[in-house]
Amino acid sequence: MDKENLKDKELELKNAKSFWYADWSFPLIVGMMSAGVFAGTSMYFNYGTGAFNEVAFVAMLKAGMTGGSYGACAAFGASFLFARILEGSLDGIFDLGGSILTGVGLGIPAILLSMNITAPIKSFPLALLTGGIIGIAIGLIIYGIRHFTLKQANSTFGADIMMGAGNETGRFLGPLIIISAVQASIPIGLGAIIGAVIFYAWKKPITGGAIIGAMIAGLFFPIKV
Amino acid sequence: MHIFTILGESLIIGGLVGLAVGVGAARMFNAPNVQALGAFRTLGEMNASEGDPASHFSFGLGFFFNAWASTVAAGSFTQDVTHRVIPNWAASLLMLKNHREEEMQDPKKMGIASAIVGAVVVTFLNLTSSALPQALQITAVKVLVPAATLLINTVMPVIFWLAAIDGGQRSGIFGTIFGGFAQLIMGNAVPGIVLGILVGKGVEESGWNKITKIILLATILLFVLSAFFRETDLTLLKQLNLNIPMWLKQAHAAFGG
Repeated sequence: MDKENLKDKELELKNAKSFWYADWSFPLIVGMMSAGVFAGTSMYFNYGTGAFNEVAFVAMLKAGMTGGSYGACAAFGASFLFARILEGSLDGIFDLGGSILTGVGLGIPAILLSMNITAPIKSFPLALLTGGIIGIAIGLIIYGIRHFTLKQANSTFGADIMMGAGNETGRFLGPLIIISAVQASIPIGLGAIIGAVIFYAWKKPITGGAIIGAMIAGLFFPIKV
Repeated sequence: MHIFTILGESLIIGGLVGLAVGVGAARMFNAPNVQALGAFRTLGEMNASEGDPASHFSFGLGFFFNAWASTVAAGSFTQDVTHRVIPNWAASLLMLKNHREEEMQDPKKMGIASAIVGAVVVTFLNLTSSALPQALQITAVKVLVPAATLLINTVMPVIFWLAAIDGGQRSGIFGTIFGGFAQLIMGNAVPGIVLGILVGKGVEESGWNKITKIILLATILLFVLSAFFRETDLTLLKQLNLNIPMWLKQAHAAFGG
């Protein structure tokens, strides 16, 4: 019991001062995270690799990049960011996936690109800077909400429902990939089926197996664009 | 030249993201006293490994393969890189020495270990995917793009819509209204449904207070503005066989529409 108290006190002391525990350093941590993720999106924009998100979500940005509309991606990302900022400051865990990966990594670039502002995404140093500033701003907003209105609204705003639906969506991708692999060509379809079965037997998500199987088959039996 | 640019940028990105993931994850063990950055699933999964470095490593490895496949195929790391691979591998690195669970609850140690793991993982993923043969990339595009299109345009709206309806009467009503309008205006119902759940659940759990009213207002404003900029109003008037008033045309022209 005494030991416990001592430990608590020690932690409290650490909390107040140390960079690693204090609330004041939180915006900086979010800033680093956002800088990296935003720059990752910049790499995806320039080289086609490096986006920190699910295939399905990144495909929304891709749709905009290949001449379609950025609208779905922008609205999707921005609404996630909005919801997560509220929720994160209330329960103490700021959700990385919805806020930074989807909001900052996809939503904000989509908004900028839809307005024809390409510089912060095309240039790597500018991307780091833009991401960092956005992250610090988000961190400060959370810091503000936490300190001035803490526990005013005791609601999670349905975050659990959204998380549940989000995870459920991911499960659909595996079967959908097999379906479109079969439509691409018979060898690629067979590859996807075999890959998915092996991954399932290994108790891994079948999505990965289906993609690898389809690609190995595509290496030996290439299809034309 | 190209490959060195990718190498350099990947190292910077991996280090930054890794450091933030590590510090954020370690701080989760001290939430809500300390504001953390992470995810509930990460917290649960890291506790489940019970201080065994091998089980942290193999847990991360399973998701690493999935992330690798998806990076090679579509250039997307999946969220698992930040949620699962980096924190679990960093934890296993720290526990190699003394098998103590406290190691992964120390933000400083976790931050440094994660920065190293992050730099290595991100660089590896980007380099292998950019060195990919052409035949593989074509297959990937042919297989993944139709699957992702189906997922985004059909599966996701339906799942979110049903979740909103199952979430209670209020989230069902707001989800259906905003979801329908989002499909009309933005071409995809998901953002509307998400906002509908947000408003519906917020009102259900804490009533009509300042915060829920602001959210509702902001949502409506978002829809009105999106409709204006995507010229949904003009399309509607045309489809109703009505003439577009001059002032509306001018308003659109003023914003470059």
